[in-house]
Amino acid sequence: METDVLIIGAGPSGLTAALETASRGLDVTIVEESFSMGGQFIQQTQLLQSLPSSYQPMRGFELAGLLTKQVEDYSIRCLLGHRVIGFYKDGSVGISDEINVFPLKAKKIIVATGAAENALAFPKWTLPGVMTIGAVQTLINRDFVLPGKHAVILGSSDFAMDVALQLSELGVQIKGIIEKTPSLTARDAEKVEEVRKKGIPVYVNSSIKEARGIGKVEEIDIVHGEQILTVSVDVVCIDGGRSPILDVFYQLGCSFSYQKELGGWIPQYNKSLQTDREDVFLAGNAAGVSSQGVLLTTGMIAGVYVSESLGAISKQEADIETMSLWRELEIMETKLYPDAWKARMQHVENFEHPVLKDQFIS
Amino acid sequence: METSYETIIIGGGVVGSSIAYHLSERKKEGILVLDQKFPLSGTSGSTQAWVWVHNKTPSWYAEFNMYSAELYPYLSKKIGDVEYKRTGGLSPFFNEADREKALLLAEAYKKIGIKIKVLSREEALEKEPSLNPEVAGATYSSIDGNVNPFRLVDMYMRAAKKNGVQYSTYNKVTEIQKLPGKFIVSSRKGTFVCNNLILAGGTWSRELGKLVDISIPVNQLRGQILVTEPLKPFLHYTISGLRQAFNGEVLIGYSMEEEGFNRATTLDVIQETANMAVHYVPQLKKAKVVRAFSGIRAMPEDGFPILGNIPGIENLYVAATHSGVTLSPLIGTLMTELILDGETSIPIDRYSISRFDLAIR
Repeated sequence: METDVLIIGAGPSGLTAALETASRGLDVTIVEESFSMGGQFIQQTQLLQSLPSSYQPMRGFELAGLLTKQVEDYSIRCLLGHRVIGFYKDGSVGISDEINVFPLKAKKIIVATGAAENALAFPKWTLPGVMTIGAVQTLINRDFVLPGKHAVILGSSDFAMDVALQLSELGVQIKGIIEKTPSLTARDAEKVEEVRKKGIPVYVNSSIKEARGIGKVEEIDIVHGEQILTVSVDVVCIDGGRSPILDVFYQLGCSFSYQKELGGWIPQYNKSLQTDREDVFLAGNAAGVSSQGVLLTTGMIAGVYVSESLGAISKQEADIETMSLWRELEIMETKLYPDAWKARMQHVENFEHPVLKDQFIS
Repeated sequence: METSYETIIIGGGVVGSSIAYHLSERKKEGILVLDQKFPLSGTSGSTQAWVWVHNKTPSWYAEFNMYSAELYPYLSKKIGDVEYKRTGGLSPFFNEADREKALLLAEAYKKIGIKIKVLSREEALEKEPSLNPEVAGATYSSIDGNVNPFRLVDMYMRAAKKNGVQYSTYNKVTEIQKLPGKFIVSSRKGTFVCNNLILAGGTWSRELGKLVDISIPVNQLRGQILVTEPLKPFLHYTISGLRQAFNGEVLIGYSMEEEGFNRATTLDVIQETANMAVHYVPQLKKAKVVRAFSGIRAMPEDGFPILGNIPGIENLYVAATHSGVTLSPLIGTLMTELILDGETSIPIDRYSISRFDLAIR
């Protein structure tokens, strides 16, 4: 099997990258390990305000539906339920349908593998009922299952505020948001205000000392200043932030550098979102964890430059188009995460100095 | 950190750390280990970690390996649990012609006291019922086994540190000066002086040799290893090419490629390796492979260890070998004897670097 552009991951950035390339007449193949497109947008019911100008504000799952439909309107090969599991010596990509493995030769690859949630460990954190906040959102919004009735949230990002409000609307009692730093880390003041209005207790400078329970989590001890508060709960949501998923980049031999504000180790890339491997581009959270609007835009930028590298458009056209995309990206990212934008610029600037060629990061 | 040491060991892998530990057992002061990265980030951390004697040839080399395997039970007592298991080793064969070769090997081993049995098909299947029923037979040796390489190196390091050994990691050696009676070792993090210098750089031995203008002919061989999901314990023996770890994962690896220091994995080899494993143990067909990794192994030009003094340079030693896990207790012991006593309890002349041309080319 052969294709011009292989896109690994059918999340929001993979899909916008697919649209940018397919709309310019390129042969595009998407590989996606789940059975639906749209990635994490599928379970996001919150209104996404900050999107690129080509999209109206809408809810995550609506946007997932819209992107999926647009992709289906082009003749893009969508391999759902398939995974990239490695690379052959001749450079072709090994794709598994969980029974067989077959090679695919791609002229260019866009890696849009997204990010994975980080865990925060505390004694007895493996008790059932302790889960990541993303898993909680998937349960309530995608699977329509309530994870429990009494919850605490460990961590206080914007995403934690979203899920706190969603849980609260469903009648789950939020018994506390526990944050180890002196203030909430969420940047969206409106949402924080909404959470306060709901009367959800917020414990800053606090942490979970331990969880207890037989067969499931039943209570936790919160260290709050000098005090230890025992709270009975059946769900603990861990909001430990996210880090880019890097496996494919290791296999491709890309170089990495560390940018704390973008989620830790990320592949090095230039303004074209091209890695130090000339045929490998990247997009979305894999290029640095950020907000939904930014993900879409990075997919578009990667798509434009891949089109250019395959001769579908001129360099001049690509530069003009991406100039406005980068400007939009800057506005969206600076609004919520100014430090992430700074880190991203630093990261792009560092491109000429790949730092990790022969190391294994774990 | 001091800058003056009695002995500096360059390389903190399984060989370097074993030497450091064994040396520190007898002489507690003045030992420094320099590692360009961190112990276990290279070869020692990317191995199946067999303690393997049987079907190594010729028989004198198998004997050398046997002495080392014999040291493992005592080693565990001294440095702590390294998850050493003397499982016994099985090397299956699938045609009758191989039986002849196996019998000859068994005969040669018998003379030096290594017991290997040539098993019939029925005996092989009785010992390891999961083997492919088409097996023609197997050679079996009770002394083979495996160890957890992470625990092994970690325990060597802990024991060595307890005895006063210092480690300096992420500290690549950049220059070595030979002065009368001492060496000046320059590294990324500083300059050190020592009386004895031991080169235990494994795959990087050639580069270390260049710093002292000596050719240490060690090449790199890449081995790719597959790891399955944890399966219920079903493999009783260490089988050539695969073994089941304590936690149920099966580690599988057969490949050897000349790829320099490139640690990539390739699906070509992964698929070949998986097919080989299924040929040996058919029920692995259903196992899910969760991970593949590759390790760069050290391979001296003629396959045998390079151990001992470097002729013409007093107090400069080299220890570079394949099978570092199997041989580490013995190499650590013998290098210690050589440095402190000037002679070894088991002759190592055969492994001297002087068998090669020392000129760099």
